[in-house]
Amino acid sequence: MVVNAESSTWVPLLPGLLRQEDDGSVTLLGSRCEGCGTTYFPAMKICVRCLSPERMLSAPLSRRGTVYTFSVVRQSLPEFPTPYVLAYVDLPEGVRVLSQLADVSPEAAHIGMEVELVGAITRKGDADQPEVLGFRFRCVTGKGS
Amino acid sequence: MSDQEQFVMAEQADRGGAPAVYVVGVGMTQFGKQPDRTPEDLGREAVWAALQDAAIDPRKIEAAYCGHVYQGMAVGQRVMAQVGLAGIPVTNVENVCSSGATAIHGGYLAIRAGECDVVLALGVECLTGRFRGALAPEEGDFEALQGMTMPSIYAMRARRHMETYGTTAEQLARVSVKNKRNASLNPYAQFKKAVTLEEVMASRPIAEPLKLMECSPVSDGAAAVVLMSERAVRALAARKPTRLAAVALLSGTYEPGLTDMAFEPLTWRTAQVAYARAGVGPEDIGFAEVHDCFSSAEVLRVEGLGLVPRGEYPRFVEAGHADIGGKLPINPSGGLLGKGHPLGATGVAQVVELVRQLRGEAGPRQIDGAKAGLAHCRGGKAAGIEGAACTIAILTA
Ligand SMILES: [Zn+2]
Repeated sequence: MVVNAESSTWVPLLPGLLRQEDDGSVTLLGSRCEGCGTTYFPAMKICVRCLSPERMLSAPLSRRGTVYTFSVVRQSLPEFPTPYVLAYVDLPEGVRVLSQLADVSPEAAHIGMEVELVGAITRKGDADQPEVLGFRFRCVTGKGS
Repeated sequence: MSDQEQFVMAEQADRGGAPAVYVVGVGMTQFGKQPDRTPEDLGREAVWAALQDAAIDPRKIEAAYCGHVYQGMAVGQRVMAQVGLAGIPVTNVENVCSSGATAIHGGYLAIRAGECDVVLALGVECLTGRFRGALAPEEGDFEALQGMTMPSIYAMRARRHMETYGTTAEQLARVSVKNKRNASLNPYAQFKKAVTLEEVMASRPIAEPLKLMECSPVSDGAAAVVLMSERAVRALAARKPTRLAAVALLSGTYEPGLTDMAFEPLTWRTAQVAYARAGVGPEDIGFAEVHDCFSSAEVLRVEGLGLVPRGEYPRFVEAGHADIGGKLPINPSGGLLGKGHPLGATGVAQVVELVRQLRGEAGPRQIDGAKAGLAHCRGGKAAGIEGAACTIAILTA
C-alpha cells in the first residue's frame, strides 16, 4: 500500500516509530548506541547494554530483511481481520521486528523469505481522529509469493 | 554466564540460618467455566479447603498474599473477609501468569525473613465472564499493535523448534494428548475427557502450527496453600508438612538482537536460582508441573529447566517418558492444557498438585516414589523482553 504523500493528517502507530519520505515510502526509526553499536527498535533512550543515555542516536533502519519465523494467525482480536501472516523479520542492523506480511499467502510464507518494508494505514482516519500509519513487510519483488 | 547472572546467583543463593519453610495445607476449587461464581466465592472455597487440610485454627494465619490478574482492587481482602481473616496484612500481587506463584514467593520470603510463622498464599481468577478466546494484550505495546497474540508467539517459537531440531506438529500435539489424559484422572480439572492425537490434529487452527486443543482454555478457579516455618510446624504439630525447599522469581531481560527463540533464557536463569537455593540439580527432580499454556510452551519449559537436553523433549514425549509412570512425569495434574488456566490461581494449583503427589494423595494419577517435584510458571510478553515474570518452586517429601 503506498501512502498518500499529500496527506498530512496521519500519526505514526507509536510516536517516533517511523517517518514518511518524500516519495511516500516509510522508514523505520530505531536508535543506535554510539558506545557499543547496539541498535534498538522501537527506539530506546538508554542503551540497556551500556546503561548510558548520552550516546543514543536516531537510526533509520534498512528496508530489507529476512523472515526469522512466522505464524498464520487464524484467531485474533476484532481489530485484526484474520487470517494474516505474522512474522519476526531480521534486519541487517541486528534488529528483529514483529510485523504482518502483506500480500503473502499462508502457503507461500517461509523461514528465510526475503522481505521489504512498506507503509500501511493501520486505522482509517475520520472527522475526529487522523489515520494511523504503520507498516508491513512484503515479499521482495521477483522472489515469488 | 554473564556478570549480571553471577550477581543474581550470589544474591539469591541459599542463606544459612533462615527458617525452613513448609506447606502444611492445600486446597483448590474445581477449575472450569463457572461464570456464575465470584472471586470472593471461589477464593473462600479454596482458602477454607486449605485451612481444613492444615487442620489449624484460622486465627493462626498472620499474613496473606493473593495473586490475580483481572480481579480488580483488593481482591485478597474481599476473600479474607469471607473466611474470618479480615484485619491481617494482605498483599495483592499481579505478575501475569506467575501471579499466584509470586504470592507463594511473598509468603516464602516473609517466613524466611523471620517476620511470620504462618502465612496463607492464594490465587484467584474469574475469566469466563470477561474473555472469550484469546486474552487481550496490553494496549500500546508495539507488538500488540502489530497483531501479536499469545498463541502466535508460541506458534512462532514452535516453528523455530521445528526448524532447528526437526520437531513435528504431531510431536507437539502429543503434549496435549498426554496432559488431557492426565486431566481426565483429576477431579478438579476443566477437561474430563482424554483426546486422541487425531482429534488434536483435526482441531481448528488458531495460530499455525498450533491448533485449538494445543491452547490452554479460559477458566475460572482458585487455589490456596498454608505455609509454616519449621518452628510453627513443631509448635502447632502440623500433620502433613511438605518442605518448600526453594521459590525463585526473576523477570525477563531486555534483549536487543537476534536471540534463539527455540530456547528460554528466563526459565534457565530462574531454574539456576531455584536449584542453588534448594541444593538440588535437575537430575534430582522426579516430576514437574510446568507452564504449558500451549503445547510448544511445555517443550520450551522442560528444555529451559535442563530436565531434558535441548531439542530432545518432543521425542521424549513421543516415547512416553513424560507420562505418569514414565521416566519423568510432566504435568501429572493435566497442566494448563488439561486442568485449565485461571491465571492468578495457576501457580498455586501447581504447588497443590506437588504437595498431593509428594504426600501420596494423588489417587489414580499418583507418581511412585518421587522425592522432589518442581513447579514452573512464566507469563507475560512485551516488546523487547523475553517474558515478564518466571517463578519456580521446588518441594521435597
Ligand atoms: Zn551501548
